[in-house]
Amino acid sequence: MEKIKLVINHQPMELEVDPSERLLDVLRKELLITGTKEGCGEGSCGACTVLVDGVSYASCLTPIANVIGKEVLTIDGFNQTEQYRLIADAFSELGASQCGFCTPGMIMSTYALLLKNPHPTEEEVRLALSGNLCRCTGYNAIIKAVLLAAEEGKERGIKW
Amino acid sequence: MKKFFPNSTNKIDNEEKMAGQALFTDDLVCKDAQFVAFVRSTISKGKILKIEVPTLPDGYFFISAKDIVKENVVNIIVSDWPVFADGVVNYYGETIALVVGPDKELTIDLAKKIVITYEEETPNFAFVESSVHKHFAKGDLKKAQEEADFTYTETFHTGLQEHVYLETQAMLMWMEGDKITVKASMQCPFYVKNAIVRTLGCHPDNVRVIQPAVGGAFGGKEHYPSILAAQLATAIVKVKKPIRFVFDRMEDIAYTTKRHPSETTYTAYVKNQHITGVKATVKLNGGAYIGCSGVVLSRALIAVVDCYTISSLDVTGDVYLTNNVPTAAFRGFGSPQTIFAFEMFINHVAQAIHVDPLKFCLAHLAKKGDITAVNGKFHDDIIMPQLIEKAMQMSDYKRKIKEYSQPHSNRGIGMSWFLHGCGFTGSGESTIINAHVKLVKEEDDTIHLYTSQVDFGQGNRTTLKKIVSNTLNCPEEQVFHEPPDTDHTLNTGPTAASRTIIIVGYLCEKAAQHLKEQWVSGKRIEIIEPYVGPSYIHWDEASMQGDAYPGYAWGVNVVEVSYDPLTYQTHVEGLWSAYDVGHAIDERIVVGQSDGGVAQGIGYGMLECMDIKDGKFYQKTISDYIIPTSMDLPYMETALIDNPFAYGASGAKGAGELTFVGVAPAVCLAIEQAIKRKINKIPANPEYIMELVENGKD
Amino acid sequence: MVNKFIPQSLKEALLILSQHDCYIMAGGTDLMVMKHRSSGLLPNFDKDVIYIANLEELNYIKKEDNKIIIGATTKYIDIMNCSLIPQILKDIIIEIASPSLRNMATLVGNIGNASPAGDSLVGLYLLDAEVELTSMRGKRKMLVSEFIYGVRRIHREPDELITAVIIPCHDFTLTKWKKVGSRKAETISKITFAGAYTIKEGIITDLRLVFGSVSITVVRRLELEIKYSGLSVTQLHDKIPEILSDYGQFITPISDQRSTKDYRYKVAINIARDFLTHIE
Repeated sequence: MEKIKLVINHQPMELEVDPSERLLDVLRKELLITGTKEGCGEGSCGACTVLVDGVSYASCLTPIANVIGKEVLTIDGFNQTEQYRLIADAFSELGASQCGFCTPGMIMSTYALLLKNPHPTEEEVRLALSGNLCRCTGYNAIIKAVLLAAEEGKERGIKW
Repeated sequence: MKKFFPNSTNKIDNEEKMAGQALFTDDLVCKDAQFVAFVRSTISKGKILKIEVPTLPDGYFFISAKDIVKENVVNIIVSDWPVFADGVVNYYGETIALVVGPDKELTIDLAKKIVITYEEETPNFAFVESSVHKHFAKGDLKKAQEEADFTYTETFHTGLQEHVYLETQAMLMWMEGDKITVKASMQCPFYVKNAIVRTLGCHPDNVRVIQPAVGGAFGGKEHYPSILAAQLATAIVKVKKPIRFVFDRMEDIAYTTKRHPSETTYTAYVKNQHITGVKATVKLNGGAYIGCSGVVLSRALIAVVDCYTISSLDVTGDVYLTNNVPTAAFRGFGSPQTIFAFEMFINHVAQAIHVDPLKFCLAHLAKKGDITAVNGKFHDDIIMPQLIEKAMQMSDYKRKIKEYSQPHSNRGIGMSWFLHGCGFTGSGESTIINAHVKLVKEEDDTIHLYTSQVDFGQGNRTTLKKIVSNTLNCPEEQVFHEPPDTDHTLNTGPTAASRTIIIVGYLCEKAAQHLKEQWVSGKRIEIIEPYVGPSYIHWDEASMQGDAYPGYAWGVNVVEVSYDPLTYQTHVEGLWSAYDVGHAIDERIVVGQSDGGVAQGIGYGMLECMDIKDGKFYQKTISDYIIPTSMDLPYMETALIDNPFAYGASGAKGAGELTFVGVAPAVCLAIEQAIKRKINKIPANPEYIMELVENGKD
Repeated sequence: MVNKFIPQSLKEALLILSQHDCYIMAGGTDLMVMKHRSSGLLPNFDKDVIYIANLEELNYIKKEDNKIIIGATTKYIDIMNCSLIPQILKDIIIEIASPSLRNMATLVGNIGNASPAGDSLVGLYLLDAEVELTSMRGKRKMLVSEFIYGVRRIHREPDELITAVIIPCHDFTLTKWKKVGSRKAETISKITFAGAYTIKEGIITDLRLVFGSVSITVVRRLELEIKYSGLSVTQLHDKIPEILSDYGQFITPISDQRSTKDYRYKVAINIARDFLTHIE
């Protein structure tokens, strides 16, 4: 066990955990923050996507040792923000969430994209979300929702 | 913000799902939930001679067939699937026992230490002996055969398909006093309840099943959770503590049910460039147990000539058992197999007799009043010509089909036509399911709708509620529709067979109408609405004759592909669909079903490969078994044309499966045009295309 | 009881490695999959683990003496976005895994992993890349193509850390990358191809064809490059069948859950033929 210091959802934390524990398990099992989901355990589905220092990570493959001193943002910490609201409203408008299991990961990947590229093209959106699998929507509504959020963000002068 | 669907309703559970606050089975807090390790067969067929279990520490339990309380069987239409393998195993991965305990790691280690001695027998993986046989005929095939001036025969194969719901199988079971309570990732709460009641022989009041958030299902959680529930229930009576499992992805891929692979052979008898008769044989791989395979076969046979009217038929169908993981429900439930086969076949027949396929298919397209394959009738208006016109116009089909038939074109466009019978077969809704919707107006005039329909993404929790508020002409917020809880709701039947809107929605409308008639403000009124279907629907299951379904939904898919001759890969460039679902209660939801169905259909038609090697699935992970990503699909365009169904709420029929069943032939017809070879197998992956291009004839 | 070391400096890391035989974990995108057991359980490590992802002193890209040097903990995303990096390597990286994994994973990690399906390795073989290995005993360098000798087999002593990958600058006329996977994104390669050539005054002075996922290691044949160097473009086009036949001897793929050996072989040859045909 090690004392691991990091920031999760804007809260500084000091956790006594095994350094090899998956970030996903620290979130879901230790801290009971369950917004981030496990879909495959092998980094292939994107349901476990979180942001680490502003970039998307697969938390099921991230040992907690790798995020020492870093800022982790999950859907649970993001969902009260203005930026989340914009993305969520766009998702609602297009029907981009059906069963909802991939959605937290999709939204975090969307945020990661808009942080770096506030005016993406359709191609850039598809690339940015290419690691987030969805079995319900065929991605159609999701891609349109991200573009709608970007457009709306531009009109409102939102800083991602 | 720009509005894309001005008449659509925000789904009730949308906010919580997006925010990560919807509680799926593994999100539920349960402090002393015990862990489960499944002990599974490591051979495909044989006898269990000996099971040696290490000494278990306090609090750890070994649960097997010896612990069965009443019956070691789960009813999945047919009662042939055991809860625990007892003395014999019939497939690699069959559950023999559970180890249950408080520490997951130790539970798994103990399970690994169990030694099972088998007497192995030779497994069967071929179609040898039929376990379910069906046959029916129409018209006079002998005459068609005799008078034919041209005969054409072809065999088609379809493969396994894995659901890849994003949330794997998961179940939490606990006791509240004497009552076993379950929350699970499932489609049918009453199936789960009944499975527990049957295996324990307990009173139905002692079992309660509640739906949590469910992360996708597609048929994969229609039957399988019943097995898991019976296993856990057997354990919980000994363990007396809450028990939870969540399958790892590899576990889910390796051991859960899949779509039935099929082999279909057609012979067409043609006279004067018209198919006058078809002989068809359909073979399905049922895996190790029959379960629902007989009904899957029925659906496959009813759809055997898809949306076409053929005067004479001779149709035989068989389910063959093999020593593999049993196959079970998956969106379409038998009809995708035969719709793929017949759509390809009719186009091949047209090519063989040098008739324009579009003209040829139109000449055979079913019309209102026509006699169906099973000697029933298409009672309702059929607007296929409008759907076809719309789909062709959206996709610019006529120009492209000419252009892409040029010798050097590496593109193709394909169009498929199809139908889907909504609801349970024949009189199943009345005789087997007998759904009852409960609608209660409380004293404060809030309205509470109770159904057993599970919303696993299709939005039915919102749509059914909307039907009620539309009928009552009241604000949507005044109506409440909670996820099913078997303690509070009557059984409105399973969430399957595209029946939720056409049957249960219709019931909701009727119930709301009755409530409206009896409305007295401030008074509690309870309506129980039983299903009464169209009286003209008569079906005989044994002979497979009559009106198979209360109503049909119809559709057209157009797919455009590009082809790379260097790598034999194809890429989807365009997707257009036109549907008659009667009436879309909520357009955004129906378009969502269309998008998702098309994506899953593309997977089925060209991408998703699952092979069996030595009795096991060869593809083991979500990297081996691949579904489309956002970069594998273009935008989809969907058009919905109203054609109200008299027995549907606001005329609504079903959409969940319709949007899947026709995609595979559409993409294969497109690929055929691009590669200039005939396809008779799916998935039409690059390896298969290479074989066709390098070895096949034009 | 397995040790898990989190060194604060390269020096500390080397000291640890001099005393313990460890799994070296950078981004985790390979090791965490290989050692994964089940949700909620720690990965199954049967020997000590050392976590180096946060060693900032190994997180760099620099150019020195006509070589690009990439430190061991530099992530794919930063390599992709760096103007110093040759285009072919960028083309390779953007098709590896998924966006999140490219944020986490390292190029050096891909070398240490030495998978027959490692995409970046194909580019590194083409570019004559070397690894720099450091231990308390000192530093040494080795060609990547010699460093990897089998499936997941590398010539790393237990006390050594791969500290950098060194890529000589080249002045190719053209480089080409082709990855054939099972879908357009997030896919393990069925076959991969990297090609490069240099034409000076109508003569092809350097012609490289490198294949991945067709053998236990990446296939690059120096003797064939020597054999076919010095040809004019016309001469080259005449020799295409011969060149393909020669390379074909070394293209020995297997059939597995992703594809068949016939497909892999045929497509490898098709792509190579297409590359050669388009040389002008």
